[in-house]
Amino acid sequence: MARNPIKDQVAIVGIGSTGFDRHGRRTPASLATEAAASAIRDAGLTAKDIDGVVSTGEPAAPAPQQLAAMLGLSDVTHYPKTTPVVMFALIDAMNAVFSGSADTVLLYNSVYRLPWNSRGAAADPFRRHYTTGVSASPESMSNAVAYTGWASRYLHEYGRTREDLGLVTVNARSNGTRNPLATLRDPITMDEYLSARMIREPFGMLDMDIPTDGADAFILTTAERARDLPHPSVLLHASSTGTAACLAEDQLIDLQHHGQHVVAKNLRDKSDLWLEDTDVFLPYDGFTIITLGWIENLGWCGPGEAGDFLREHWDKDTDRVLINGRVPLNPHGGALAEGATRGSGYVREAVTQLRGDAADRQVEGARTALVASGGFFFNPQGLILRTE
Amino acid sequence: MPERTTQFTDTDVLERYPSTPIDLDSIELYRGWLEERLLLSRCAECGHWHHPPAPLCPKCWSFDVVPTEVSGQGTIHLLILVHQGAPAPGVDYTEGPHPVATVELVEQVGLRFTSTVIGCPPEDLRIGQSVSLAWVDRGGAPYPVFHLDPSVEAGAVHGS
Repeated sequence: MARNPIKDQVAIVGIGSTGFDRHGRRTPASLATEAAASAIRDAGLTAKDIDGVVSTGEPAAPAPQQLAAMLGLSDVTHYPKTTPVVMFALIDAMNAVFSGSADTVLLYNSVYRLPWNSRGAAADPFRRHYTTGVSASPESMSNAVAYTGWASRYLHEYGRTREDLGLVTVNARSNGTRNPLATLRDPITMDEYLSARMIREPFGMLDMDIPTDGADAFILTTAERARDLPHPSVLLHASSTGTAACLAEDQLIDLQHHGQHVVAKNLRDKSDLWLEDTDVFLPYDGFTIITLGWIENLGWCGPGEAGDFLREHWDKDTDRVLINGRVPLNPHGGALAEGATRGSGYVREAVTQLRGDAADRQVEGARTALVASGGFFFNPQGLILRTE
Repeated sequence: MPERTTQFTDTDVLERYPSTPIDLDSIELYRGWLEERLLLSRCAECGHWHHPPAPLCPKCWSFDVVPTEVSGQGTIHLLILVHQGAPAPGVDYTEGPHPVATVELVEQVGLRFTSTVIGCPPEDLRIGQSVSLAWVDRGGAPYPVFHLDPSVEAGAVHGS
């Protein structure tokens, strides 16, 4: 018999529908929010009960984090967009509830006639105008640009300077010298960081990750089966994703209330291991401000103090961070040196270190790794890995 | 849908802002631009403002969301000087960095609108400065921007 530990463990408790027609003009967001609100009410629940939102991945539907924001859901910890049709989303939602990724999941499917689906749809000027929803205007605070905007706010609110950001880059480039997989393997100085060409002030060339080519892959199986395989087991101890309610990046509440705080709290509540147990710390550095955010929001230091924390734990001999003289920060060089792996490099480095295979950058006796991936808005993520 | 308050049709709005993502939930914002009024979404039931436009109020789940004119006054909350970025009529990065500012509006804590700030050398702009709304022509259609305005009352401003 096949393994089925989830058998009879998860239930459907609410349903909602707008009904279906082929003449309506409402947006996918309007339809999805109505069905979602109906289903939550049908279940006898409210916005504060929902901590998971799963999309069936229909092309015009709002993204799960957008739907969550439109419904005013805060502290959502599981919100993937799956592949159409519905059962991928249903199975994902089941697994999420069973595993504890979320306690109560909203699954939504909103279908919408695009202009090439029917003559009626083609006659609707709004459907002909259908776009990806990304403005081409220079006056954008969306997506990647938002990190520059909130970096400006960080420096203003806490009275810090760009040197705090620069420490992240100098550390990454020093570590990159020891990683044969890295795109950039030469170190830099603070002066080189500060004199790099400005792109979007306060960010210059060296505040942003390195666009690169490459691939990573991972194999997962049960801990039981892992014991029979060649390498020391690297166990996935606790994980979380998290978003706070904000419909657009420029509407984020503030620097003390965003997705990193949702992840930090949830990960800590799930884990037997925390900062004092961490041997390898791998915070995302797609933009330097993200790393300062993770250092502060995971609790290594207080708000606005990450620059001072990095200086306090700076190892002058190797020109990089060693927390308490021992724990490196992105020993593989992160996205600023290894390249923009979109998170996979941090997970690969965690596994490599916990296997004891990291050669001249190996942390002696490494047993626990803390990976904090993604940024402030829709994609903050945390993972704790350990050896047996 | 809210009652239309101007003579501009849906097609007018879509044609005048061809590269802007506009749908039935957001079109009143851009219809307002054509008559140089900044209309943001406000819940008719609970009074809560939200932006960008969404079909329902995130606070109370009412679908009775009314595009409502804001004063356009506020303070700079986020500020970027863009040295290289998306092209637009009237924006020339070779002449110097182009400021992009998110302004916290006086109407509600956390209600913000992002545009540029005109009439001031970019290097003199700072987070916390008071601004007012202005309108410029961009590609033949009105476009909302901000200018420094020390007369905006500090007491009326949130988040400075």
